[in-house]
Amino acid sequence: MVRRPRGTLEQEVVAALAASPAPMTPAQVRDQLGGDLAYTTVMTVLARLSDKGLVTRERVGRAYAYSAVRDEAEVTARQMQRLLDAGDDRAAVLSRFVGVLSDDDEHLLIELLRHAEEER
Amino acid sequence: MSAGMGTATVVACLVIVAFAVAGPRLARRLPPAAATRVVVPASLVVAATGVWVLGAVAFTWVAQLGPVSRYGQWSAEQLRDDSPIPRVIAIGATVLAVLSVGRAAACGTRRLRLLLAVRQSCRGVGVPGSLVVLDNDRPDAFATPGARGRIVVTRGLLRALNADERRALLAHETAHLAHRHACWLLVAELAAAANPMLTPTARAVRHTVERWADEDAARAVADRRLVARTLARTALLIRAAPVAGVPLPAVGGDVPGRVRALLEPPPRQRVAPLFVLVALLVVATMAAGTVQRRGDELLDHAGTGNPAVSHHRPGH
Repeated sequence: MVRRPRGTLEQEVVAALAASPAPMTPAQVRDQLGGDLAYTTVMTVLARLSDKGLVTRERVGRAYAYSAVRDEAEVTARQMQRLLDAGDDRAAVLSRFVGVLSDDDEHLLIELLRHAEEER
Repeated sequence: MSAGMGTATVVACLVIVAFAVAGPRLARRLPPAAATRVVVPASLVVAATGVWVLGAVAFTWVAQLGPVSRYGQWSAEQLRDDSPIPRVIAIGATVLAVLSVGRAAACGTRRLRLLLAVRQSCRGVGVPGSLVVLDNDRPDAFATPGARGRIVVTRGLLRALNADERRALLAHETAHLAHRHACWLLVAELAAAANPMLTPTARAVRHTVERWADEDAARAVADRRLVARTLARTALLIRAAPVAGVPLPAVGGDVPGRVRALLEPPPRQRVAPLFVLVALLVVATMAAGTVQRRGDELLDHAGTGNPAVSHHRPGH
C-alpha cells in the first residue's frame, strides 16, 4: 500500500463516517480503511477532525464513537444542489466524476466490469 | 525576402487547419498529463496565430480607410496598388478577426462569471481542498474549480461504495484540484472560442483531463483495476438512480473509454507526436511573423511622411 498524504486520510475518514449509518469507534474506522494504518494514526486524525469541528464524538461504553457533523448540511446542500442542477453552462466548470451514460455505454460498461471481475 | 505575404498567409492557414485536424489525435496518443500540458498551450498558440494573421491581412484593407491612412501617413492609393491581398479577402479577414476576438472575449467573461458564481456558492462550505458531503441519496460526485476548490460527494454515493472505492474516488477528485484542471480547460475553451476549428481539440482535452485524474488516482491507490471498477460502478449507480427534474449534462466524459484505458497497462511516453506538434508550431509562428513583416513593409513602402511613424502592427 502507498502512504497517504495527511489531507487524503482526513478525507477518507470523513467519507467513512458519513457513509456509516451509526457512529464508529476508532477501531471500526481503522478496520474499514485498511489494516495497514496504525491505531494511533486513526486516533490522531479523528482528534484533528474533532478540533476542526468536522466530526463529533459520543461515549459508547469505554470508548468514544465518532460521526460526521451534519449541522451545515442543509445550507451546503442547497448551495451545492443549485450547482448540480444548474444548466449545462454552470456544470461545465465543475469536474464531475463520471458523465451520463448512453444505453450503449451502459451495456459496454457492464461487459467491461464483468470481464474485469472474471480476470481477478 | 523569402516568402510573400500571400504565401505566408496560405502557409499559416494550412498549419492551423493541420493542427485542428491533428489536435484531437495528438491528445489521444500522448499520455493524458503530457497531452494536456502540450496540446492546450499549442491550441492557444495556434488560435493566437490565426488572430494575428487575420489582423495583419485585415490591416492591408483597414489601412486604406481615410482616417487610418491619414493618421498613419501613408498613401491609400499606393497601398491599394501594392497590396498582394485581394480586397475581398482582406475585408473577410477583418470580419473574421473581429468575430474571433469578440467570441473569445465573450467566452472569457462568461466563464469568469461562472467561476465567480461557483466560488460564491462554495464560500463557507468546508475549507479549500476539503471533502464536502451532501446530504442527498442521489449518487454523485464532482470537484469545484481551482486549486482551492472543494470535493463534493453525496452521502448516497459514499454509502454505495466501499472504503477502497471511496479512496479511488477521492484520489481522482483531489487530482483535479491539485493540477488545476479547470484552468487547462478554460484555456482550451478560449482557444476554441477564438477559432471554432479547435472545438474538437477542446473536447479531446476534456477527456485527457479526466484520464489524467484517473491515472493519478491509479497511482495513489496503486491499483488500476480498483479505479476502473469505481468509475464503472459509480456511472451505473448514477444511471440507475432516478433523475431529479433537470437532465444532467454529460460532463465527465467517455466513461467506457476511461474504464478500458485503466484496464490496460499505464500509457507510455511517446516522442513522435511531440515532434509533429513542435514542427507545426514553429511553422505557424514563422508564417505569422512573415505575414506581419510583409504587412509592415507594405506600409513603409506606401508611406508618405516620417517613416518612423509608419511602422504599424495589426490590431491597431
